[in-house]
Amino acid sequence: MSLFKARDWWSTVLGEKEEFDQGCLCVADVDNSGQDKIIVGSYVGYLRIFNPHPVKPGDAIQAEDLLLEVQLREPILQVEVGKFVSGTEGLHLAVLHCRKLCVYAVSETLGNVEHGNQYQIKPMYEHHLQRTACNMTYGPFGGVKGRDLICIQSMDGMLMVFEQESYAFGRFLPGFLLPGPLTYSSRTDSFITVSSCRQVESYKYQVLAFATDADERQETVQQKLSPGKRLVVDWVLNIGEQALDICVVSFNQAVSSVFVLGERSLFCLKDNGQIRFMKKLDYSPSCFIPYCSVKEGTINTLVGNHSNMLNVYQDITLKWATQLPHVPVSVKVAKFQDLKGVIVTLSDDGHLQCSYLGTDPSLFQAPKVDSKEINYEEFNAEMKELQKIIKEATKTQDILPQSEKHRDLIVTADVSPDLDEESQAIDSEVKAEVVPSVTVKVTIQSRVIAQKPNLAVCVQAPLAVSCDQFIFDDLEPGSSETVVLSVFLKGNCPPSELEGNCVVSCNTPTELNPEGIPKVAQCKFKLPLRLICFPAQPSKSANHKLTIDTNKSPVSFLTIFSDFADPSEDDQANVLGFQFLTGSKITLLASKTSQRYRIQSDQLEDLWLITKELTLRLEEHFKKQNCKDFACTFSGSIPLQEYFELIDRHFELRLKAEKFQELLSERAVQFRAIERRLLTRFKDKTPAPLQHLDTLLEGTFREIIALADAAEENQANMFQAFTRLKSATHLVIMLISLWQKLNADQVAIMEATFLPLAEDTQELGWEETVDSAISSLLRTCLSKSSKEQALTLSSQLSMPKDTSRLKKNISLFCDRLAKGGRLSLSTDAATQQAAVVPGGCATIPESDLEERAVVPGSTATFTNHRRAAKQKSKP
Amino acid sequence: PGPARQAAGRGLAARMGLETEPLFQAWSCFRRRKFRQCSELCSQLLEGAPSEQELDTGYTKFQAAWSLKTRALTEMVYVDEIEMDQEGIAEMMLDENAIAQVARPGTSLKLPGTSQGGGPSPAVRPVTQSGRPITGFVRPSTQSGRPSTVEQAIKTPRTALTARPITSASGGSVRLGTASMITNPDGPFINLSRLNLAKYAQKPELAKALFEYIFHHENDVKNALDLAALATEHAQFKDWWWKVQIGKCFYRLGLYREAEKQFKSALKQQDMVDTILYLAKVYLRLDQPVTALNVFKQGLERFPGEVTLLCGIARIYEEMNNISTAAEYYKDVLKQDNTHVEAIACIGSNRFYSDQPEIALRFYRRLLQMGVYNCQLFNNLGLCCFYAQQYDMTLTSFERALFLAENEEETADVWYNLGHVAVGIGDLNLAHQCFKLTLVNNNDYAEAYNNLAVLEVQKGHIEQARALLQTASYLAPHMYEPHFNFAILSEKAGDLQRSYTAARKSQEAFPGHVDTQQLIKKLEERFAML
Repeated sequence: MSLFKARDWWSTVLGEKEEFDQGCLCVADVDNSGQDKIIVGSYVGYLRIFNPHPVKPGDAIQAEDLLLEVQLREPILQVEVGKFVSGTEGLHLAVLHCRKLCVYAVSETLGNVEHGNQYQIKPMYEHHLQRTACNMTYGPFGGVKGRDLICIQSMDGMLMVFEQESYAFGRFLPGFLLPGPLTYSSRTDSFITVSSCRQVESYKYQVLAFATDADERQETVQQKLSPGKRLVVDWVLNIGEQALDICVVSFNQAVSSVFVLGERSLFCLKDNGQIRFMKKLDYSPSCFIPYCSVKEGTINTLVGNHSNMLNVYQDITLKWATQLPHVPVSVKVAKFQDLKGVIVTLSDDGHLQCSYLGTDPSLFQAPKVDSKEINYEEFNAEMKELQKIIKEATKTQDILPQSEKHRDLIVTADVSPDLDEESQAIDSEVKAEVVPSVTVKVTIQSRVIAQKPNLAVCVQAPLAVSCDQFIFDDLEPGSSETVVLSVFLKGNCPPSELEGNCVVSCNTPTELNPEGIPKVAQCKFKLPLRLICFPAQPSKSANHKLTIDTNKSPVSFLTIFSDFADPSEDDQANVLGFQFLTGSKITLLASKTSQRYRIQSDQLEDLWLITKELTLRLEEHFKKQNCKDFACTFSGSIPLQEYFELIDRHFELRLKAEKFQELLSERAVQFRAIERRLLTRFKDKTPAPLQHLDTLLEGTFREIIALADAAEENQANMFQAFTRLKSATHLVIMLISLWQKLNADQVAIMEATFLPLAEDTQELGWEETVDSAISSLLRTCLSKSSKEQALTLSSQLSMPKDTSRLKKNISLFCDRLAKGGRLSLSTDAATQQAAVVPGGCATIPESDLEERAVVPGSTATFTNHRRAAKQKSKP
Repeated sequence: PGPARQAAGRGLAARMGLETEPLFQAWSCFRRRKFRQCSELCSQLLEGAPSEQELDTGYTKFQAAWSLKTRALTEMVYVDEIEMDQEGIAEMMLDENAIAQVARPGTSLKLPGTSQGGGPSPAVRPVTQSGRPITGFVRPSTQSGRPSTVEQAIKTPRTALTARPITSASGGSVRLGTASMITNPDGPFINLSRLNLAKYAQKPELAKALFEYIFHHENDVKNALDLAALATEHAQFKDWWWKVQIGKCFYRLGLYREAEKQFKSALKQQDMVDTILYLAKVYLRLDQPVTALNVFKQGLERFPGEVTLLCGIARIYEEMNNISTAAEYYKDVLKQDNTHVEAIACIGSNRFYSDQPEIALRFYRRLLQMGVYNCQLFNNLGLCCFYAQQYDMTLTSFERALFLAENEEETADVWYNLGHVAVGIGDLNLAHQCFKLTLVNNNDYAEAYNNLAVLEVQKGHIEQARALLQTASYLAPHMYEPHFNFAILSEKAGDLQRSYTAARKSQEAFPGHVDTQQLIKKLEERFAML
């Protein structure tokens, strides 16, 4: 990333689909005319020589800039220019092919005025190579004057030295795997390379020359002779990474140094292989070239990278960063005509560019946002429309959704009247012979397109369904889907409700919102009583008895409980026995003379389902007979004492659970402590005896497991207790409502009070929730005096120490109701209900119905503490 | 003059390629970072490769191809280990390296609020969960918060942005490691369980590439450690590189003291920037920022002006709440490398929070000119413009930010800031809608809940405001604002007890807050009167 862009001075694209790499670019005065030329060879075998001239921006490159283009028969791996021909100090061109080294003379022939000069290459000599070449370096090896020798590294690690027209010797590099960059340092007369061991290695030319000849090695090994010395490395520096390139620099004013471009860092080494400095690069470099610097004692380096950048470093300080239009694989600095310091870059796919570091910033131009002509009238109209919608939306309960007027999505559940012939129950814990199941047919209908409809069917445990999740394909408008599932009793206790719930969720896309608006539809279904109980012999005696009065003459059970009663037995007209699958028995009696029914059982909670069923069936029966004034009443006392016993049982289990939790956390702390001790023991250099810590660890572990098992069992018990409690609560609510003849609204308030929707958990249990709800009611609509209203509640709900307060409040509640208290929420009009904030957070641990006196219009003028914005930026 | 064209019939001439020399071609592709191509070429070379026994004998072409392929596969997934840092809850809590439970001020990163350098107070600059100021540059470890017990750590609300993995072994490193399965549908390239590590350890030229493959590509730290241990033994403990690798393995395994030893020993042999960075990273993990600083400073003596070291120092100072020193070091970074995005962004945000939005604007503008083009930058630009009273650019910047937002969290940030602007120009209706939109995009946005509550209070909806404030304080217990606002709200309503509790929480989150102190004093006086 940079402010600046390399200014294009001259550029061209070479060939089509040709490949280039590091060695393919060379800048030198190849025709000995005193001017730098660019020599480029490609992997396809083209050799080109350019003499760039500046062009006006926009003009195509002039044809005469290309001095020479010739196709050689083999891929060109590297081109170099040096004094390669004996007997002359003129510069010649060396071209490295895979299996051949050719040296050419480039010459210019003066042509006619119109056609200009001609350039030709003339082969001087060539060497055929036995091994695949990789790269080469040249220089006055051994300190020869006036000529350059060539050293070629082969792919399998052999250095081959050519003394111009003749082959001198070949040496294998020790520990070779893959070739690294190779260069020759004339000051120390040595070859420097980076080996696969990630070390910079320097070999003296002298040592190389005297070492065992590579070609003879095979034989010498066999003959155990050693005519030459072993190849000994001059110095080694472990840099810990692979290198891309090496350059030796010795400019006049700067000390001679070796630059190594690693894959992740740039190193500058002294002649003896010590690090002068290094720089960790935070990008992947692709090529580099050191060149002299204006400041004394420093060296400038150009480093190209794979994010199209060219960085100029003075030693390690970034002096300039400039963008290139391509990733350079090779970079050189050249002097053309009178222009010094032109940067020549070559990309992998043949973009050759000569550029300079201009100071005109090439600022990043952010793409334009799609902006339309603004039509203010339309905008105003739309704005008004939207404001209206927002206003409408905020008038109602804000974020909460509105109820739909016409339903686009309808879900219906159909419970079959008969039990399944073949029970579908699986994994039931009930110990009955046959666990019956009933089929429910759920149908979804949609009037609009519904994407990804998802149906969830839930029944309260201990009931269970055979399959509770269904995912359908997208529904077309007007289509429907039907699924069939079975409900059965799973847990070993009677359920508190014989109801189930189906919820369908889907997305309905609209024009503006293709992703769709989430929609939900739900319906309830009622399950038959036969699912959980069957007819049994009525029993006379029972612990708990309830009597329901009605204002109509008794109805024969044969008519209303036709699915239980056997018509052949006449006495079943007023006595009927039920037995739950779990074992408990309930007897239903109808008085022959008075308008009463009696329900009796050994357990209070078991009465609930039958009582409910009885009242429902009676109501239905009289409805059929068009008898509108039918009513049930209850005149006995509410069985609060028995109810309290159930509460205590549940609470006791909760206390137990808390104890288990405490014990568990204690043991866990102990376990961790032992673990930590053991760990330090094991990590200790000098082994110390364990001192039975391992036994302790195992013991603690067993304890934890045992505790966890016990806690789990307790949890199961607690669940059963809670189900019982819920049944009993339902019964109590029903009895109270029959007793006080409450209307539907009041029953709803009572249900909200006694049966909170929240799950019964250790942190927030039934007792405290109900307690706070009742006390809230006692403070508001059931309060006797204004004094009571002022009582404040503790804001945090926490588990009470015992249930006495709850019991007292419940008794008081019944008392107040008996004395004519009316349940209503209308008195709370002044209070806004605490808004339920959706999503993302757990419910705020406060009662919904809690109310506090608020002085209306109190102008809270506190400081408006606002956070300064979140600041973030990523690279 | 005209060129002499000797190549006639270019199109017809048979294109000479490198097909005859696949190994060279692969090697060249590797150098040009065409790793996929390189790996394919190597696979071709390795087809019909000799069995592993033949790999042992001296140099073969197969060995070279095999090694090249390991390197190519490694480079494809390579992430600098220094930047990789994710501390899981288990590592944080079951930390057997802790020295003092209560560290002295200025010596630990665990204690928030040990500000010495006169950093801005949380009233001005938002803080992270752990009480450190929000930094200007998101790094893997900047969102850290260090809860003090396991129980607290598990109970702390884990929103989408603050969630951290239970252990770092299951965190990002595993996800990175699975790269191997995507790239090789036929199964892994090297079957680690069948590898004879001892054999490879004796060939340093193969072993180093193999190690990196096991460590970075396969992410199998144990095997990597085995190989490194064998190799360092073979090198007679003279190769610093192997020591650094062992240290890296130890670090990953959580054996920080052992890693420290390895890094120190490697540094004795050879000074390297990477080793210094690793060593400092170990000290940071051991919660010894002062030692880490010393390591960095010693490293700077050896490698003066090294950007990564300077940047490391700046990060530590920033985390230690010593903002002014951090800014100095960030400036030093820019002196060495003026394109350093992190330094520019951090200085920019420092300026912004020290009430110099105009200068911050210049830094952010520089980033934009350099080609950083994302939602966060425009977000910051918009805010700077607003506070620097350049209203004309404010809305356009935010518009662009919305346009560039990549996910809902970013959109939420923009809307939140727009809400601020709306409050600033007094359009409370718009502000209300903006904060609502924030919550629509990210319903964990505690700040938005808080501000929404303030707006609700002004409308007189006390109950709603209370609910919003409670949500805010639940979502972000480290913020003092919701607590404080709740305290004031309760106090106005006459609920002194609740007000007092909330004020105490506010004080806990921001001990230096004067208004809170005054409120507490007032409440205490009133309690005394009763």
